[in-house]
Amino acid sequence: MKKGILAKIVIILIFAYLFFPIVATLLFSVATKWTTTILPEGYTFSYYQQLFTSPEFIQSLLRTVYVSVITIALSVVLIVPSIYLTIVYYPRLERFFEILSVLPFAMPGVILAIGMIQMYSSGPIRITGTVWILIGSYFVLILPYMYQATKSGFRAINVKALTEAALMLGCGKLETFIKVILPNIIRGVISAALISVSVLFGEFVLANLLVGDNYETLQIYLYKLQKVDGHLANALVASYFLVILLLSLLLIWLAYRNNASAVRDRGKTS
Amino acid sequence: MSYVQINNVEKSYQGRQVLKKIHLSVAKGEFVTLLGPSGCGKTTLLRIIAGLERSDAGSVRVNGKEILAGQHKKGQNIGMVFQSYALFPNMTAYENIAFGLKLKKISPENIRQQVGEIMDVLSISGKENNYPHQMSGGQQQRVALARALVTKPDLLLLDEPLSAVDAKVRESARSLIRDIQRRMGITTIFVTHDQLEAMVMSDRIVVMNSGEIMQHGTPEQIYHKPENRFVANFIGTYNFVPGDWVGLSAYEGEVCIRPEHIQMLKKDQLEQFGDSGSVRLQGLLAHYYILGNTVRAEVVVGDRKILVDRLNGFQGSEFETNEEVGLVIDKDACTMLAPGRGEGN
Ligand SMILES: Nc1ncnc2c1ncn2[C@@H]1O[C@H](COP(=O)(O)OP(=O)(O)OP(=O)(O)O)[C@@H](O)[C@H]1O
Ligand SMILES: [Mg+2]
Repeated sequence: MKKGILAKIVIILIFAYLFFPIVATLLFSVATKWTTTILPEGYTFSYYQQLFTSPEFIQSLLRTVYVSVITIALSVVLIVPSIYLTIVYYPRLERFFEILSVLPFAMPGVILAIGMIQMYSSGPIRITGTVWILIGSYFVLILPYMYQATKSGFRAINVKALTEAALMLGCGKLETFIKVILPNIIRGVISAALISVSVLFGEFVLANLLVGDNYETLQIYLYKLQKVDGHLANALVASYFLVILLLSLLLIWLAYRNNASAVRDRGKTS
Repeated sequence: MSYVQINNVEKSYQGRQVLKKIHLSVAKGEFVTLLGPSGCGKTTLLRIIAGLERSDAGSVRVNGKEILAGQHKKGQNIGMVFQSYALFPNMTAYENIAFGLKLKKISPENIRQQVGEIMDVLSISGKENNYPHQMSGGQQQRVALARALVTKPDLLLLDEPLSAVDAKVRESARSLIRDIQRRMGITTIFVTHDQLEAMVMSDRIVVMNSGEIMQHGTPEQIYHKPENRFVANFIGTYNFVPGDWVGLSAYEGEVCIRPEHIQMLKKDQLEQFGDSGSVRLQGLLAHYYILGNTVRAEVVVGDRKILVDRLNGFQGSEFETNEEVGLVIDKDACTMLAPGRGEGN
């Protein structure tokens, strides 16, 4: 009995600790005036309205969406076929890809960024300060997430046997990949993409160092906004929080469905 | 005229040879089983025949056409059933079976009719809209079989398709596969490590061991006329006794006799049985146990233990353990093994 109450108190404290800043942010983003009182004196949605109608905000949002979409698309197009080909035709390369995919974890973003600035500010590929250098480094940044999440999609099916079964029925190699393999791993690819979206939407260090004012992403805009108007910045953070929350829920749902079907199929795909 | 011709096929993995100069021909409509212990190269050989694996040397021809690995399988027309079934998880039973027909650009009405027919034959009608994970192992196996059969292949390859289902389902699946194979006249190569399965189903059995063909022949030949010690040991049970025991004093090696070919008698009856064509031995009945429809006796004769099988009659046994018994062996029942190949294993 006593133990139960203690456990509850601890859990409540942890949740309070976790949610307090979020609730405060939410409240501040809708407060007219909030100085000496415990709760705001009045409420308004005007900051949100201001934010969502601000051309600067729209511009930066579009920029972030643009880099994220291009990076993720590039990543999917390169990683999905690579994993497929290693599993079916070049199993020895698998270890190499595993190592390659965790390499970005070993490199702090700052070092990566400075290295890239030097590498690409002269020579044949001069892309320092342009959006391309950002896309390139974002590609590396999301590589571990993309690789692992996509790989787990592949792990849920017996890729080699399915491929061979389709080939034996007279299916071409590309056709097999599109008709048989892709529909079975697509959920893994989608969750990989969603994880990457949430990583890229929150990214500040690389964007600030590599492109800064040249290409003002959402996070850079937020950074500037903070110094100008706290209420607006909070409205942005709150919106950001909601988007990430929805993404996470979507991910959890996807992961749950993946697991459920994997459990059902276990033992039949030995 | 052989329909499938395998010539001198060899294969090594990382410097270790897993197939050594395999020669084999299969006639049209024949049911041939590759039988051998785990790791002897059965799957590897089957995959080379299918064109899924490249051989290091030699060639495979099916119906006159050479099979090449990596080549588009459209012109090849070989059906294959995998041990794991490899059903497409995103497709229903119907879509799985229709997959090969759709690739052949057959009209939808024809596809519907042919799929319906084969599902009927395999008694899986009604499962059309089930996804693989919604079916039992036995049903999945039938869908896999249907998917391979519906395209009317020139050659059907089966890699232990029955190993993942329970004994009852396996038994009915054996005769089902055999029936359909006969009715459709499909040349079939079947892989198993279950000798009973091989005996029941095959026209011809190919016994393999560590990448070599040890013997091939009808189930009768394999069972009654093993050509070497490996086959004798691998198929069924044999007693090995010195040649002079059965009056072959000139013969250096050992002879082998099936347990069911030895007669066991009460010791005092021994004198009345047997003729010049048989030998009589005496021993001690050490152990006696039921195998099912037969009963096995372990009789110690000299320094050897001889196994004797008798039918498990309804009246039970008239023998007691530790009793002195007599054995009668017909000389014609003894098989002499050529020394050399496969010895010692
Ligand atoms: N891709 C591979 N790489 C390396 N060695 C392999 C490969 N495939 C098979 N082998 C080896 O070749 C040998 C024969 O394998 P194979 O799968 O043909 O045996 P099998 O007779 O089918 O055995 P089982 O009854 O267990 O299925 C084995 O020793 C195996 O370890
Ligand atoms: Mg095998």
